Amino acid sequence: MNAPARLAVVGFALALAGALATAVLDLPAAAVDLPAAVAENLSTSGVEHPVTAVLLNFRGYDTLLEIAVLLLALLGMLAVAKPEAVAPEPSAADPMLRFLASVAVPLMILAAGYLLWAGAHRPGGAFQAGAVLAAAAVLLHLAGRLPAWASPSRMLRLGLVGGFLIFLAVAAALLAQGALLRYPPAHAGALILLIEAGLTLSLGLILAGLFLVLARRPASPRAGVGEEGKS
Amino acid sequence: MADTFLDPLPWLIILPLAWASLAFLVGEGRGGRLAVAGLAVQLALALILAVQVMAQGARVHAVGGWGASLGIDLLADGLSVAMLLLTQAVALPLAVYARAYFSEVAQTTFWPLAGFLLAALNALFLSADLFNLYVTLELLSLAAVGLVAMSGKPAQVDAALRYLLVSLTASGAYLMGVALIYGAYGTVSLAGLAPLVGADPPLITQLAAGLMLAGLLAKTALFPFHFWLPAAHGGAPAPVSALLSALVVKATFYMVLRLALGPFAALADDAAPLLGALGAAAILWGSWRALTTHHIKMLVAWSTVAQLGYLFLLFPLLEPGGAALRAGVMQAFAHGLAKAAMFAAAGVLMLSTGRDTLEGLAGVAGRVPVTLFAFALAGVTLMGLPPSGGFLAKWLLIEAALEQGQWGWVVVVIGGGLLAAAYVFKVLRQAFLLAPASAHFHRVPRAMEWSAFLLAAASVLIGLRATEGVALLGVEFGP
Repeated sequence: MNAPARLAVVGFALALAGALATAVLDLPAAAVDLPAAVAENLSTSGVEHPVTAVLLNFRGYDTLLEIAVLLLALLGMLAVAKPEAVAPEPSAADPMLRFLASVAVPLMILAAGYLLWAGAHRPGGAFQAGAVLAAAAVLLHLAGRLPAWASPSRMLRLGLVGGFLIFLAVAAALLAQGALLRYPPAHAGALILLIEAGLTLSLGLILAGLFLVLARRPASPRAGVGEEGKS
Repeated sequence: MADTFLDPLPWLIILPLAWASLAFLVGEGRGGRLAVAGLAVQLALALILAVQVMAQGARVHAVGGWGASLGIDLLADGLSVAMLLLTQAVALPLAVYARAYFSEVAQTTFWPLAGFLLAALNALFLSADLFNLYVTLELLSLAAVGLVAMSGKPAQVDAALRYLLVSLTASGAYLMGVALIYGAYGTVSLAGLAPLVGADPPLITQLAAGLMLAGLLAKTALFPFHFWLPAAHGGAPAPVSALLSALVVKATFYMVLRLALGPFAALADDAAPLLGALGAAAILWGSWRALTTHHIKMLVAWSTVAQLGYLFLLFPLLEPGGAALRAGVMQAFAHGLAKAAMFAAAGVLMLSTGRDTLEGLAGVAGRVPVTLFAFALAGVTLMGLPPSGGFLAKWLLIEAALEQGQWGWVVVVIGGGLLAAAYVFKVLRQAFLLAPASAHFHRVPRAMEWSAFLLAAASVLIGLRATEGVALLGVEFGP
């Protein structure tokens, strides 16, 4: 890019930043107070933590579609990944790493279970728990205990979409209550736990897959592909 | 209870999500059958929904039973139901086409991605919430990028990456706009925002609307944001090109229209002349490039750039109850069907001749006459000859322009039609030449030829069913 074009881009970016700053500093008072509405309806949501209530109940439909987005990211990678380029066997790693994995991975699985359970009343939930599970899978791969995924078997595919299918089935079954994802207040807590448990496993596999589908020999940390952050 | 369970509205989102994930689960071999069955049910559901909406008026489905602004609302009014009908009507013949087009291995990749793409489209057309629209847009873009890249060829992965970068940047701009709106008003529900934004919105709303508009125009590939489209649409496998050109770019146009009719109505007047001018530029530039290219699918892709321009001519002419809105939706419908037919036909022509250039088409008229007829019929719609849907769209556009004394647009509409005639006849002329002795033709499955023909015939015949379309579009939501 030549100098005048660069200057124009920089100028445009600065002008936009200036306009945004001016607008945000002069923010009018919001006419609708959603946090208050969330607090008011928290008692019938089935969980005690507002973030989980918004994610799985009030705006659970957004979350349902976001899980599909994550699944799609993996499907897109499987579409272009070349199975023959993937190392069929895990590479041997040094003994320190193997030792670390055998100590850390059981703890990480335990931590994931705790995060899942904690989501009902404090920060935590399926996304965090799934991320910890995925990290455990990546650690196992680096330690030479888990092969890369050339093309996922049917069991693995079931694990990948299982959480989404449970979520979808619950959403559809609740149409009998009058609307998509309309939890009956008495069973909301149990249903949300069921969905989150399924999601934890599937999200763990999906996030691990983003790494393991592309892993090549020699396994290197740079093989992972940055994914866009999801709430 | 039975009533809500059988409401077609939520099932139009649940069904494609279900068959998409099941197609991934079952793997090789059975995804296509699932998809065709699912799409047949979806088409029936969309028709039922259209009949219900025409009889009972627009309908809101409060997901989770909370209602906006705490929850998310789905809205089925005339405009969204029309787009839903178009989506299912294009997707079903294309699914039949794709089953014959792809190898079994390619189908294991194609069906899950196509299913999520169609689910995203249905969800987008039904959404009445700015943030939920963003989520559907992400789902749509990722599925589309995956489909563009699925052949794995370096040129295609390159086009897909460029598409991904444009798409992500555009999504980012849209999301920033949504964040600003939420900061300013505390809600992202379209119905809730409309009275709050009012007639004289503050700077922050103008900035937010500008960012959202820029993002959506980039995704719609309106001139001058069209640069990613020809490579992405022209190089992809034929069923993918058809889905992308017929439906995906229409989704973001629909969002611009929905926002301009809804919460940002006060700002739409300011942006209208610019949108109209860009639309006119797109028609002329896209048609010119279509006329000068030598590759058959590139010709069809550049024609998409041009035809998208017509959609944006409606903004300077938009007025409540006027002909411009009907013209825009009719154009989306006619172009959707015709372009799906044209890409499907182009795919058959390329399989038959084994070449992708216009030159290679010589003699093809005697080999795949049904397909060539389909291509010509789709061309009739793009040129805007009666009685096609394209004719009706252009007629309504000209009527709206004359009513408001804006003569300039009439020249653009007619000029674009002439250019379209030129590039369509260029293909037909080549096809009727005698085949060189060295030419070798391949057999093409019947299912592909006839599904292309069905789409093309539908694009011409909808011109005859315009009364129902107008009645459907008349179903508006609101007091």
